[in-house]
Amino acid sequence: MSQVKTELYPRAVRGGGKESGAYANARRVLIAEIISGGTGLILAIFIMGHLVLESSILLGKDTYDSVAGLLEKTLPIAQVLVFIITIAFFFHFVYASRKIPGKLSSRRKMMELGLSIKKSKGRWSQPKSDIEHKRHLETSLWIWQVRTGMTVLALGAFHLFLVMWNIFTTMGFAGEAGLAAKISTSRVESGLWILYLVLGIAVTAHFAIGLYRLAVKWVPDIWLKRKTAYIICNMLFWLFLILNIAAVMGFTGKLSLL
Amino acid sequence: MGRTLTFRIFRFNPYDEDSVSRIQEYQLEEVPRLNIFNALNLIRDDQDPTLMFDFVCRAGICGSCAMMINGRPTLACRTLTSDFSSVIELFPLPFFKLLGDLSVDTGVWFREAAERLESWIHTDEEFSVNETEKRMDNELANKIYESDRCIECGCCIAGCATANVYPDFLGAAGLNRIGRFMIDPRDERSNETWFELVSTYEGIFGCIGMMACEDVCPKSLPLLDTFAKVRRLMLGTGLSGKK
Repeated sequence: MSQVKTELYPRAVRGGGKESGAYANARRVLIAEIISGGTGLILAIFIMGHLVLESSILLGKDTYDSVAGLLEKTLPIAQVLVFIITIAFFFHFVYASRKIPGKLSSRRKMMELGLSIKKSKGRWSQPKSDIEHKRHLETSLWIWQVRTGMTVLALGAFHLFLVMWNIFTTMGFAGEAGLAAKISTSRVESGLWILYLVLGIAVTAHFAIGLYRLAVKWVPDIWLKRKTAYIICNMLFWLFLILNIAAVMGFTGKLSLL
Repeated sequence: MGRTLTFRIFRFNPYDEDSVSRIQEYQLEEVPRLNIFNALNLIRDDQDPTLMFDFVCRAGICGSCAMMINGRPTLACRTLTSDFSSVIELFPLPFFKLLGDLSVDTGVWFREAAERLESWIHTDEEFSVNETEKRMDNELANKIYESDRCIECGCCIAGCATANVYPDFLGAAGLNRIGRFMIDPRDERSNETWFELVSTYEGIFGCIGMMACEDVCPKSLPLLDTFAKVRRLMLGTGLSGKK
């Protein structure tokens, strides 16, 4: 009578060990998550450096050329990096887009739900209830990440191709090869400024939302509060947005800090 | 006298072939400290006995009265009408099976999730009624309790865009539950077993990280912390698990 059998609670059905198919599948899912997040982080860090270095045009063409020379002639960083970034770019596209629902109706459903919760904040005028009414933007924000991601895919692929073309051939802009203010300026002035502006805005929004999402996913609240992460990423967005617009204006000669 | 409230309530009975989904309006005089749950009872008692909605405890413990209140999934019993302008819109929770009007069946889904996650203590130890209970560190007990506070109202699942699109996704309630058993030392499941169970698209890596679950959770569970912990454990196990 003292020993109670616990057959109500059966043994784990799972647990096939490391050789099992379920384990291999779980590893595949984890690796996909690491690749999508990892390439995203690499690209975000790259793009911040890219935008900072590119805005050296605001300090004059000579400064830009010396920075470009450092990255191209002193050390062949640009030539190597353009390939690495292109590979990371397409890997990120393939792995990060796996969570986007394929059907338009599903994406609409997500947007509708996100907006419904977001807008409910305005429909609760006097929060006297026990339940804390938190602001929720992120479901609709994620849809914007998808939209900006698709914009970056189209325009970024074109930009990467153009940069590769310009680094390795003299065909195209200003009759020169490599990184130089002359080539960049002629690219922007040939009417592509609109492309760079749209690409810049899209990529800034995309990486800021993406970094925030990485922080939310992997860093617990006790290390970095979600609100703090949101504020940091919001500041990054506005900072790099202004920097990007200023740089495009710098290339067209409309803005210079000197 | 208080304001006159207008309730716009979703009406549909899936078991009645003649029923058409529609929005029906009800008027009600507001009294001080009136909550949605009491308002619904007043409407049912005085105006429309056919109105269907769920409740049990009236105190935010049972999780039955979750519904979409002005576009947000939350508990009717803990929401005061004074929070709103005079128009209040009530819809049933999405995702779950509709039983009629505002009533949905969350039970079947939660039972299924519990079976899929095998959310019970797995141990080889024989239970003996005569022995005293084993002691547990207070800090750990509190941590387990934080996840155990979940009342399974279904607000997190209804508010989750991923769950609404991929019905197999275990959602915040399921992942919170598994996080609870992961830190419980009495559960003898190995990290490899957890890995197989949770490192899937139905599990933790189906989550996009929009965190609507945390924002709408009426019990303010630390879902973000729990998920981050589960993710990092999965990362550690998966990377160290090289053959």
